[in-house]
Amino acid sequence: MEILAIQNLKKSFGGKEILCGLNLSVPEHSIYGFIGKNGAGKTTAMKAILGLLKTDGGQICVMGEKVHFGQTRTNRHIGYLPDVPEFYPYMTPLEYLHFCGEISGMDQTDLATRSNELLELVGLGQENRRIKGFSRGMKQRLGIAQALLNRPKLLICDEPTSALDPVGRKEILDILLAAKEQTTILFSTHILSDVERICTEAAFLDNGRIVLQGTIAELRNMRQSDGFIIETEQKEKTLESLFLEVTK
Amino acid sequence: MKTLFAFLKKEYLEAARTGRLMFLVLLFALFGIMNPAIAKLTPFMMEMFSDALAESGLIVTNIQVDAFTSWAQFFKNIPIALIAFALIMSDSFTKEYRSGTLLLALTKGLSRYKVVLAKTVLLLSLWTLGYGLCFAVTYGYTAYFWDNGQMEHLFFAAAMWWLFGVWVIGLIILFSSILQNNTGVMLCTGGIAVLAYLWGVIPKAKVYSPALLMNAGSILTGVEEIGAYRKAVFITAFMCIICVSASIPMINKRQL
Repeated sequence: MEILAIQNLKKSFGGKEILCGLNLSVPEHSIYGFIGKNGAGKTTAMKAILGLLKTDGGQICVMGEKVHFGQTRTNRHIGYLPDVPEFYPYMTPLEYLHFCGEISGMDQTDLATRSNELLELVGLGQENRRIKGFSRGMKQRLGIAQALLNRPKLLICDEPTSALDPVGRKEILDILLAAKEQTTILFSTHILSDVERICTEAAFLDNGRIVLQGTIAELRNMRQSDGFIIETEQKEKTLESLFLEVTK
Repeated sequence: MKTLFAFLKKEYLEAARTGRLMFLVLLFALFGIMNPAIAKLTPFMMEMFSDALAESGLIVTNIQVDAFTSWAQFFKNIPIALIAFALIMSDSFTKEYRSGTLLLALTKGLSRYKVVLAKTVLLLSLWTLGYGLCFAVTYGYTAYFWDNGQMEHLFFAAAMWWLFGVWVIGLIILFSSILQNNTGVMLCTGGIAVLAYLWGVIPKAKVYSPALLMNAGSILTGVEEIGAYRKAVFITAFMCIICVSASIPMINKRQL
């Protein structure tokens, strides 16, 4: 079953076309890598999925329901982690999760259990300080906890690892892998080693269009079928070289 | 309704933990104390400056202060308190746009109109609390030193300034739903207040202007009657409802 289906999505900013006929389909229980260079339109596409941006054309469906700009009910199926998540600095992590649960309409007993469970999952279970003093990595981890709070069918993560150090990146990727059991993940990034490490499928976005998509194995085979053998010193370069080839 | 209360709870927690609530309480209490204090100290100050004034040819004779002096100070000081309130609270929306904190709440399914309603309730309640505190402190001290019984229509006059504050809040809400930054919100709110003041200068039109409510102090001295404010009260209340109602479609159209 398709969790997310995007057809012919278009969006321009001040005459500049950011998305020009984007088509994307994310199957259930996958970790879907959404890859593109900076400015390729990844965040724009994600905000359109969340109904935060008015699109110029096309259609987005989440769990078969059409997304509308402004007020969208489809967000009840979605958990969202922005690239730089911002929280109310005067709250503690537990207070913030309670606030999120209450505005999502969660049951109080379930909310209490779920909040503690998620804070343990992201390693903030013992953290009683206010968010004000949190590092970027801690904020990302809290971001994942809030995104998973209402058991979303689709978790959208916008470059969750790009601003983190290697240890922070590893922690976030491990948490996302653990979250795979509970949800489908759409994961935007330009770090290709992260995609190879956790994604089951991926799509490459360039100039507002999907230029390549498939499972990680298919993408690797595609490269082989083209008849190129590229030897790299680092394993993580393989998808990067492919990306550069298709976006030339 | 549950989600509205959850967001409202967050607003009050924010006001308390960021120190805004305490600051407003102290500010309005200080203004409340200042009004009778200035009235009480006026004869003493005039006596101190009498020599200097005498050199300028001004002779200070017996100065009478009473409840009128105290309440006249109240109506002189309340505009400053309102400006301070507007400056402190006007970034209620814009700081959420700037920091991106609202984004996560909206992606959790919170309706945008509930954000407008919760922030309106917060601003109205804080203004009512602060204004009420200032009024109560002035009332208490004035009753202690003089007699509030001399004042006619005191509560009505005070309610006029409260309503003017509500009108300013309505403008803040409206411009916050349209504009991105706090400076813009303050400039536009101030601009409309100036326009209302200019409207109030036109003799035939002034009875309709919200700026008329700023002259409420003259009710106490009997210069104006309550009936003269009826049209301005109606227009102001109507404008408040329009401002808040118009902010909802505005914020719904906003791209975040």
